[in-house]
Amino acid sequence: MTSGRTPGLPPEIEKVVREVLESADLNSVDGVEEVAGELRAHFEDGLAAGTPVDELIARFGDPVVAGARIARTRPKAAARNRGKRGGWWRSPSEWLNEVVGATRRLARAPGFVFIVVLTLALGVGVNTGIFTVLNAVVLRELPYPESDRLVRLYESDVEDPTRLWFLRAPIVAEYRNWDQVFDGLGSIYTYREAGADLTDGDQPQRVTVVRVSAGYFEALGIAPARGRTFTEDESFGPGENVSSALPIDRVAMVSNRLWTDHFGGDQDIVGSTIRLDGSAFEVVGVMPHGFNSPFGPKADVWVPQDLRPGGGNRFGNWYLSVVARLRSGLTLEAAQERVEVLAAGFGEAQPEAAGSFPRLVPLQADVVGTTRQTMLWILATAAGLVLLTACVNVANLLFARGLARNRDLALRSALGAGRGRLVAGVLMENGLLALGGGVAGMALGWLGVRALLLLAPEALPMAAEIELGGTVLGFALAVTLTTLLVFGLAPALHLSRITPAEVLRSGDRTSTGGRTAKRLRDGMVVVQVAAALVLVAGSMLLARSFDRLLDVPLGVDPEGVLTYEVHLPGARYEDGAARHRFHEELHDRVAALPGVEIVGATSWLPVNGRYHTWSFYWDPENPDGSNGDAWYLTDVRIVAGNYFGAMGIELLQGQSPEDVDLEGEPMAWVNRYLADAVFDGEAVGRQIWLAGEVRRIMGIVEDIPHDTRGALSRKSYVPHAQHADERNWALIQTVKARGDLTHLRERIRGEIRAMDPQLVLYRPQSFEDLLGRARAQDRFATVLMATFAVLALVLSLVGTYGVLAGSVAGRTREIGIRMALGADHGTVRAMVLRYAAGLMVPGVALGLLGAWVAGRWIEALLFGVEPADPAALGMTVLAFVGVGLFSGWLPAVRATRVDPVQTLRSE
Amino acid sequence: MTLEREWMRGAAPLAVLTLLERREMYGYEMVESLERESGGVLAMGQSTVYPLLYSLEGRGHVKAVCRSAPTGRRRKYYQITPQGRTWLESQRSQWRKLVEAMGLLGVSDRAVVR
Repeated sequence: MTSGRTPGLPPEIEKVVREVLESADLNSVDGVEEVAGELRAHFEDGLAAGTPVDELIARFGDPVVAGARIARTRPKAAARNRGKRGGWWRSPSEWLNEVVGATRRLARAPGFVFIVVLTLALGVGVNTGIFTVLNAVVLRELPYPESDRLVRLYESDVEDPTRLWFLRAPIVAEYRNWDQVFDGLGSIYTYREAGADLTDGDQPQRVTVVRVSAGYFEALGIAPARGRTFTEDESFGPGENVSSALPIDRVAMVSNRLWTDHFGGDQDIVGSTIRLDGSAFEVVGVMPHGFNSPFGPKADVWVPQDLRPGGGNRFGNWYLSVVARLRSGLTLEAAQERVEVLAAGFGEAQPEAAGSFPRLVPLQADVVGTTRQTMLWILATAAGLVLLTACVNVANLLFARGLARNRDLALRSALGAGRGRLVAGVLMENGLLALGGGVAGMALGWLGVRALLLLAPEALPMAAEIELGGTVLGFALAVTLTTLLVFGLAPALHLSRITPAEVLRSGDRTSTGGRTAKRLRDGMVVVQVAAALVLVAGSMLLARSFDRLLDVPLGVDPEGVLTYEVHLPGARYEDGAARHRFHEELHDRVAALPGVEIVGATSWLPVNGRYHTWSFYWDPENPDGSNGDAWYLTDVRIVAGNYFGAMGIELLQGQSPEDVDLEGEPMAWVNRYLADAVFDGEAVGRQIWLAGEVRRIMGIVEDIPHDTRGALSRKSYVPHAQHADERNWALIQTVKARGDLTHLRERIRGEIRAMDPQLVLYRPQSFEDLLGRARAQDRFATVLMATFAVLALVLSLVGTYGVLAGSVAGRTREIGIRMALGADHGTVRAMVLRYAAGLMVPGVALGLLGAWVAGRWIEALLFGVEPADPAALGMTVLAFVGVGLFSGWLPAVRATRVDPVQTLRSE
Repeated sequence: MTLEREWMRGAAPLAVLTLLERREMYGYEMVESLERESGGVLAMGQSTVYPLLYSLEGRGHVKAVCRSAPTGRRRKYYQITPQGRTWLESQRSQWRKLVEAMGLLGVSDRAVVR
């Protein structure tokens, strides 16, 4: 941009100024601008004083002589410039000059800088944000040594290898001997963490206790910071298991957090005694700072899992999660092959294990989940497309600015700057812009990550690991530099190819740009439209999918349901009868509170995943359980009070648990899915062998899915009154109430305190919140994709508009002539809109192709919507027709305002 | 009537600095003042004035300041520097000596005699 430039000066005068500058041989752009500015000012003053143009020019004298004189006034600078030509890049001071020059040039165009930095920041920001998450969740290795050797084990069956089960204790006991495959293997109790009250201090503190087997920490490769881990005997024997809830030896390991926070980093912690729910445990070890299990809850205390045969450790109980370390050098495929052979041999020796084989899943993939991994990669690609659309706009802006600067560069070139130096100068400007955009983008990315974590902590495992580290900064730097090089170099090279004489002779007319430049810009806009369309199409698909998800019948009425837990310490509530009495009294007290309508409890809430998959037996001909085909898997729920009523689960047939005598024969309720699948709907009155007893099916209830996508499984409901002895069930209370649930929660807290001051109201939450979290991942993907799509849409709107507006401005003369020749407004408007269509139609076609390809990939995230959903794609295309019209309309209208007389006169 | 180039070359810097000694000026003002106040004798082509100003600036006899003129336009104002004043003094005394000598020789119509 040339300061002091007065478009009003007659061309004859401009010619004089140009000739002076040409023969002056000035050595800096600034010098050229200074002299040009002063000469123009001189002529303006002359014109303002009323001097005719001819006289002004005559009185000025010979411009070439003037230029030569000016050249003589600055001989030293010119000589220096000539001397340094070619080797300038070796001099730091020359570089500094470039930086200062570039800064000064940019400072003169604050609006341009703002738009470019903002656009870049958006592009870099979303990428930094998504990469931060991707890096933490997918790319970075798990925090265990040689974590690529870690696998999670599942049981699967020969008939349907896609189904995965937790493991049974006798199977785990067998697998741990397979040292030709595993270097270490340990299990963790899959189901609810036992919360326990740590009662050493003045106040009982609720801590999370997790049961793990011997070998668990060793398999992960993490040694304790102090003391030891659990011994073989503490998990495997000798003797028989009677209650899997009680450890063989009362020993415990504590987390570093608990050790420092609760025990004040007591140096003598190992060997000391802590009291959990009133029972004494000896602390044998402290885990190092930052240690977390790859799955399961964040534990404060670990106690050994009793894996001796007997009790719950039978072939009918799938309840363990297993992690193993593959032998060094063994590939996953080789290991899988070996365990299948070993499992077949074991099945022959042990009929109850027949048909089952272990499935090895890399721990990383298991922790992250394939769907989530796909989701993050899709989002990362989407962020990349946003960056692409942003870069196209930046490149277009650079082009436009570059064209305006043709004269500058031509002068610099005429003054002896080589092509390298010109490119360096332009790149320096772009570099400063990229730096600004990069820094702003990183800040934006950081804020974005905070926002993501607020939006969906449940959607991201290991959210704690997510932070802006060196890798992320390196990534942002790489993205910014690539942007700069790719989108800055092309305009720079284009500009450096300009012949100075041509530009200087042609005055302002070159600013329409060459044919190649125009084609390049049009091409970029087509790509931009295509990229934006892919994003919008993806976003439409996800939005429609999420909409379908919300329509999935859940079979429950979540409104006004408060859930919470109360854990009863085994030391004080020793038997089932005592625990049942407690729950009965609690139910009565809560039911009496104002606003409470129905009270119930369950061992596991709906839409919360599969849980307690046991099996039942039904064969009236062979009631002894001998028919191997008559065992059916079923998810078992222990229920108390009027659980069905509280959750709004409809009773389809039979009697409600409220209306029967639970003191009588053992009973069960089943869901419609089970009744239809096993009994052809005729389930009521049947007797099945379930949860240790022959139970009569008293009723059939409506299906409730175990996930938000409506997946069903066979479910059985067993009354707590009849099963309280089996273990200390951590029942989740469900209270249906009117009015404010927060207020109710406090009332309930009071009731619990009145019953037993040491008990804690644990994890209170409304069922609606819980449902929201179950949909967190889908909402996360939908919201992010929509954000990206809107960004891309706006950016492509701006990009298309920019190119169209630029074209109209550049064709003012042509439009003026056409109008002078009789073209009406409609024709002119159509001309501009045709140009807009020329950009949009190929863009949309390319985008649809991209959306079709991307659809196959995004399918994994969709629910109830086809990737080629005509409605979604139709709406997308409509949106882009709108964008095309919108971005074309304003320039089209502006084109019709061109005044042919004015245009032609100025020629 | 205007002076020949050689005369002009000697007189112009002196004239310009003398004008600037009174007040700062921008290019066009300078051109106008030179013509008006010298009765047209020192009406230099502007192709001379601007290079001269740059040359004086390069030698440190004047300095330029960019400012808005009363008309609102940005102008480059030239001011004489202390170095310029010293130089102007010495030139002036040389000029006087020259005129005196010329007078003694009878070149001028009226000799200046002290």
